[in-house]
Amino acid sequence: MTGGRDSGRPITLDPGVLRPGLFSPERWTMRSLLRRLPVETYVVSFTVALWVILAMTAPNFLTEANISNMMRQTAVAAIIAIGVLCTIVIAGIDLSVGSVVAFCGVLFAQMASHGFGVPASIVLTLLAGLIVGLINGLAVGKLGIPAFIVTLAGLQAYRGLALLISGGMTVGGLPSGIKEFARGTAIGVPNLFWAMLAVGVSVYYLLRYTRAGRYLYAMGSNAKAARRQGIDTLRITIVAYVISSSLAAFASILLVSRLSIASPSMANAYELQAIAAVVVGGASLFGGRGTVFGAIVGAVLFTTMSNGAVLLDIDPFWEMVLEGLLIALVVYLDNLQKRRQAGF
Amino acid sequence: MSRKAMLALSISGFALLAAPAAYAQDTIAVIVKATTSEYWQWVFKGAEAAAKQLGVKVDELGTPKDDAAGQIAVLESAAGASPSAIVIAPTIFEALGDPIAAVSKAGIPVIVIDSGAKTDNYASFLTTNNEAGGKAAADALAACIKERRGKAAGKVGYLTAMAGHESLDSRDRGFVEGMKAYPDIKVVGNRVANNEEAEGMNLAGDMLTKNSDLAGIFADNAQMGTGAGATVAEQKLGPKFCLVAFDSDSGEVEHLKDGSIYALIIQDPYMMGFGGVWYGYAAAHGARLPKNVDTGVGTVTKATMNDPKLAGLLDVKKRALGPYLGN
Repeated sequence: MTGGRDSGRPITLDPGVLRPGLFSPERWTMRSLLRRLPVETYVVSFTVALWVILAMTAPNFLTEANISNMMRQTAVAAIIAIGVLCTIVIAGIDLSVGSVVAFCGVLFAQMASHGFGVPASIVLTLLAGLIVGLINGLAVGKLGIPAFIVTLAGLQAYRGLALLISGGMTVGGLPSGIKEFARGTAIGVPNLFWAMLAVGVSVYYLLRYTRAGRYLYAMGSNAKAARRQGIDTLRITIVAYVISSSLAAFASILLVSRLSIASPSMANAYELQAIAAVVVGGASLFGGRGTVFGAIVGAVLFTTMSNGAVLLDIDPFWEMVLEGLLIALVVYLDNLQKRRQAGF
Repeated sequence: MSRKAMLALSISGFALLAAPAAYAQDTIAVIVKATTSEYWQWVFKGAEAAAKQLGVKVDELGTPKDDAAGQIAVLESAAGASPSAIVIAPTIFEALGDPIAAVSKAGIPVIVIDSGAKTDNYASFLTTNNEAGGKAAADALAACIKERRGKAAGKVGYLTAMAGHESLDSRDRGFVEGMKAYPDIKVVGNRVANNEEAEGMNLAGDMLTKNSDLAGIFADNAQMGTGAGATVAEQKLGPKFCLVAFDSDSGEVEHLKDGSIYALIIQDPYMMGFGGVWYGYAAAHGARLPKNVDTGVGTVTKATMNDPKLAGLLDVKKRALGPYLGN
């Protein structure tokens, strides 16, 4: 997506300006060093620390089976988080993704089990996701309804559609090829993880190296200034919501493949997991800040926590409390960092 | 069984009474716990079948997800429309007690199905004995382990779909109690999910990582059974592992067929809807009803799934329940 009419104008805003490079010519002090740390620093350190602890205390943590298990568990959540990231970067939000996963998943399973053929079912499911994003983007960008309200309505409506097209029942009877995909590996790494990497690299490229990507950050930092610079904010809004819903649709296909069924109750509260992963990964809910890498590490962190809780036999109720505390702690440290960068 | 026969007898008695009164159109409201679950759709299917026989109108109500406050609101607005009777599956024991008593006091007979509520002011209570179901699961799991490993010994775990639900807690209690009959089988772990298939799948996978010598898992509802079944299929553990699950949605039945699930403990939600509407109709016309009715549980394995007696429990489309006695 390139912004045709202003293609000659240089755009100076770049996500890079939000954090000085580690090797930029500035005085090397502890303070300046802390300021130079990338936004994902805290979530990465936490995750690595947790891995080290688990590797020492849980004998089965560092086994090949467990690692490939965790790769499968992370993939769907991470793909959804990457989509939600795009809406958070423009200071929006997408609360509908969990319901969109259920809706698209049920749609996909219904088509695939009624002889549509797998390729056609995939294309139509992704198209449904794209249309959902278009509706969200237009409602936010054109009608000016707050994103929170638009996607909250979607949270309800798409869950309802999932129920309608499934009749409230679990949809089974899928072709075996669909089930095999999620169970399969390539070069020893689960297919699901490759799918996540492919999505990650594509969105990373889009955000970092394309004009549309720079506009997303520019709009999230200051929508008015972006508009004055000639950025078509409606178009950028639509891009963000279409990415979010399309990735939710893509994730739904993977989830159906993994579960080998689709159920209208699946993907319950996934929007909250995705937002948590994005925010823990260093994104700001006020927009303009956040990376694909951070969102993936955020998702990995939550997978590690629930995996670790089972391996260490932590009480399931405590696990929830600990997860909540962790979100608060990482975001607090991250805020300290942001204030340092702002020079407080 | 004798209770069931009594229920059948009493209902066929009502059938005779009901026939001449059927021209007055009655409405019976059926309120379930969560319309998003296949289990509750089966309750509706049973209710529809009864409504057809009785010539009454059935209002199918409920919140999409388990939600006690939402269900109370649904109950109150349903009562506001003055139906002949209300059939309800209470989400939370404590919370629904007073609202149900209030509806009864207002003169609308209430038939409670599936789970209890904290009141005795209702016309009748049709339910699965969940504790007995948990025990049946323990027996099935032990039988599977004995069949596949030579003797009933090893480690097992269980998956709880949600915290704080009376019917799930009873199943788990029944399971843990039932396992005590097998001194060489140790219950080593329990995880609680948020009633979502993918989480059940992840937790089952993690339990297998923790105890790689785990011999079996008991999954206490359909979502957990479908999720854990997907893990067993993914890791290709089928013939070595023993998974026993409650309920019978299409995901679970698929796993029963492909060998990932050894046995399903099935309740009879269709009967709860069917019997609930029949009883509601009977109560509305002044019949006295038994206070408690056990709708029964059955154990189905791959070997017995085509038994005509069980086929109707597994697949509602095969249910031929003309006269209630058919079961």
